Amino acid sequence: MTAAPLLRAEKVGLRFGEVVALSDASISVHEGETWAIVGAYGCGKSSLLRVLAALESPSRAQGTVAYARSSPLATQRAFVPQRPEVGAAFSARDVVRLGRFAIGRDESAVDRALADVGLLHRAHLAFSALSGGERQRVAIARAFAQVDAGGVLLLDEPFSGIDPAEIARIACALRVRARRGAVVLSLHDPGLARAIATHAAILRGGRVIQTGDAAEVLTAVHLTAAYAHPMQQLGGWIVPDLADGR
Amino acid sequence: MKPRGFIVLLLAIGIASFLRVAIGPAAAGEGMRLAFGMPDAEILGLRAQSVLSAALLGGALGLSGLSLQVLLRNPLASPFVLGVSSGAGFGVALVLALAWSFSIPAVAFGGEVAGAVAGSLATLALVAWLGRAREGHDPTTLVLAGVIIGSIFSAGTMLLEQLVPFGLRGDLLSWMAGRLPELPTQSALWTLALSAAGGLSVLWFHANALDVATLSDDEAISTGVNLVRLRATLFAIGGLLAAIAVAYAGPIGFVGLIGPHLARRLVGARHAELVPAAALAGAALLVGADALRQGIDLGTGRLPVGVVTALAGGPTFLWLLRSGRWAR
Repeated sequence: MTAAPLLRAEKVGLRFGEVVALSDASISVHEGETWAIVGAYGCGKSSLLRVLAALESPSRAQGTVAYARSSPLATQRAFVPQRPEVGAAFSARDVVRLGRFAIGRDESAVDRALADVGLLHRAHLAFSALSGGERQRVAIARAFAQVDAGGVLLLDEPFSGIDPAEIARIACALRVRARRGAVVLSLHDPGLARAIATHAAILRGGRVIQTGDAAEVLTAVHLTAAYAHPMQQLGGWIVPDLADGR
Repeated sequence: MKPRGFIVLLLAIGIASFLRVAIGPAAAGEGMRLAFGMPDAEILGLRAQSVLSAALLGGALGLSGLSLQVLLRNPLASPFVLGVSSGAGFGVALVLALAWSFSIPAVAFGGEVAGAVAGSLATLALVAWLGRAREGHDPTTLVLAGVIIGSIFSAGTMLLEQLVPFGLRGDLLSWMAGRLPELPTQSALWTLALSAAGGLSVLWFHANALDVATLSDDEAISTGVNLVRLRATLFAIGGLLAAIAVAYAGPIGFVGLIGPHLARRLVGARHAELVPAAALAGAALLVGADALRQGIDLGTGRLPVGVVTALAGGPTFLWLLRSGRWAR
C-alpha cells in the first residue's frame, strides 16, 4: 500500500484578473521525495510553489491543496523565496530562530538546522555580513528549523546567482532533509534538476505538461517542448542546442 | 538581552530629568534670570509633572516611530517625516477653527484628540498607499510622499490660522512649533500615560511576530505570522500615538525617527528589547531637549521644544540618509 502523500494538490490554478498564471496543476509529494519544477521564465513555476505554500489569497487561487496532518500549516511546510530578506540587524542564528515562531523555541532544532547547512560555526555572524550563498543557506536553515519534525520544504529558485560550491552545499543539505520530509524546488537549469531531484514536473504556459520520475520526465524531447527550443543530451546534462540559435 | 543599553537610557533620562527640574527662572534683583539649583517643593512638583509629560510624550513618539518603521518596512519612517504629524495637526486646527466659527467657547482635550486621530490615520493611509504605488521598495519614495502630503496639510493648517482671530492664531502658531505645556492637565497626563502604556504592552506582546515581520512577506506568512492583523495593529498604534502626541504638544519632529534608531544601537534589533528601549530612547530625547531649551534664555521666553528637536534631529536624519545606515 502506498503511503499517504505529505502534500497533495489537485487542479490548482492562479489568476490575476484576466491573466491566468497557472491552471489545472496536480501534484502529489511523498516522504523522501525531491521534486523539481522546471520550465521557461514565466511558465508558472513560482506561482505553483506559492499556491502549494498557501501564500496566495483564496480569491486568486483555485483547486485543492492538502497537507497530510491536521496540525497548523506552519508546522507542515516552509517556504524560501528566491531572494530572502532580513530587514533587521540579526545574526544568522537569530534568523534561523525565527523559523520556530509558530512551533515554539527549541535551540537544538536551530543547531540541527544550522549544522545541516554547514553554518553552525558562523551562526554568530550578522546576516548582512554573509555572502549571497550563505544567506540563502541561512534562509534554508530557517525553513529547516520550522519543519524540524518533518514536513515539506518549498524553495523558489534556491540556486539563483550562487556559485557551484554553494550549489553543492545547498543540494547536499536538501538531500539530507528530504529523508525526513520532502522538498519541492523550482529550477531554471534542467541539468541541475536532474542531478538533484527524484521527481519532476515540467510547466509550460501555466500548465503541467509532464510529471513523474525525474529521469523519465527530464529528457531532451520533453524539455524541447517546455522551452520551445531544441535541447540536447550532452554527457549527463541536458543543454540548449546552440547550433539552433534562431 | 543587553542590560547595558537599558542602563544607558535610564541614566540619560535621569540626568535630563535632573537638569530639567534644576534649571529654571529665579528672582534676581528687579527681574528674573535663569538659575541652576533645586527649587522649593511646590515648584519642584510642577516641574516634575512637566518632566513626566515630556517623558510620556517622548515614549509615545518613540513607539509610534517604531510601529511605522516595522509597518512600512522603512527605517526612515516616523510620524513627522511621513507627514502624519502634519495631518494630525491639521485635524486639531480644523477642530479649533470649527469650534470658533460655531462660537463654541472651549474645546476639551478630547475634541483635539479626535481631530488629531482622524487627521493622523487619514494621512498615514494616504502616504502608505502613495508610497506603495511604485515598485522597487525604495524607502525614499515613501518619505517623499510623506513630505509632500505633510506640506499640503501644513499649508492647510496655515490657511486655517488666517481664518481665525488673532488670539487663537497666536496659540495655533505656538502649538504648531511643537510646545510642551508648562502645566499639563491631569486628564492630558492620564491620556498620555494610558496611551503610551497601551502601545508599549501591545507591541511587546507582539515582539516575536515583529521579529518575523522583518523577513519578506512570503517568509513571514509561511512562518505563521498573521501579517494582515499585525499590520492593522501597527497602523493603529503608530497613528493613534502620533495623534495623541500632536494633540497634546503639536508636531514635534524627529523623536519618533531617532528614538528607535538609537534604541537599536543600544539594545539590538530583537523587538522584545527594542520595544521598551524605543520608548525609553524617545523619553530620553524629549526630556533632554526640554532640559536644553530651559537652559537657553533668549529674553523672549522659552524656545518651543519642537525647535530644539528639529535643530538636533534634522541633521541626524540627513546623516542617516547620507550614510546609508538606515539601509540596515
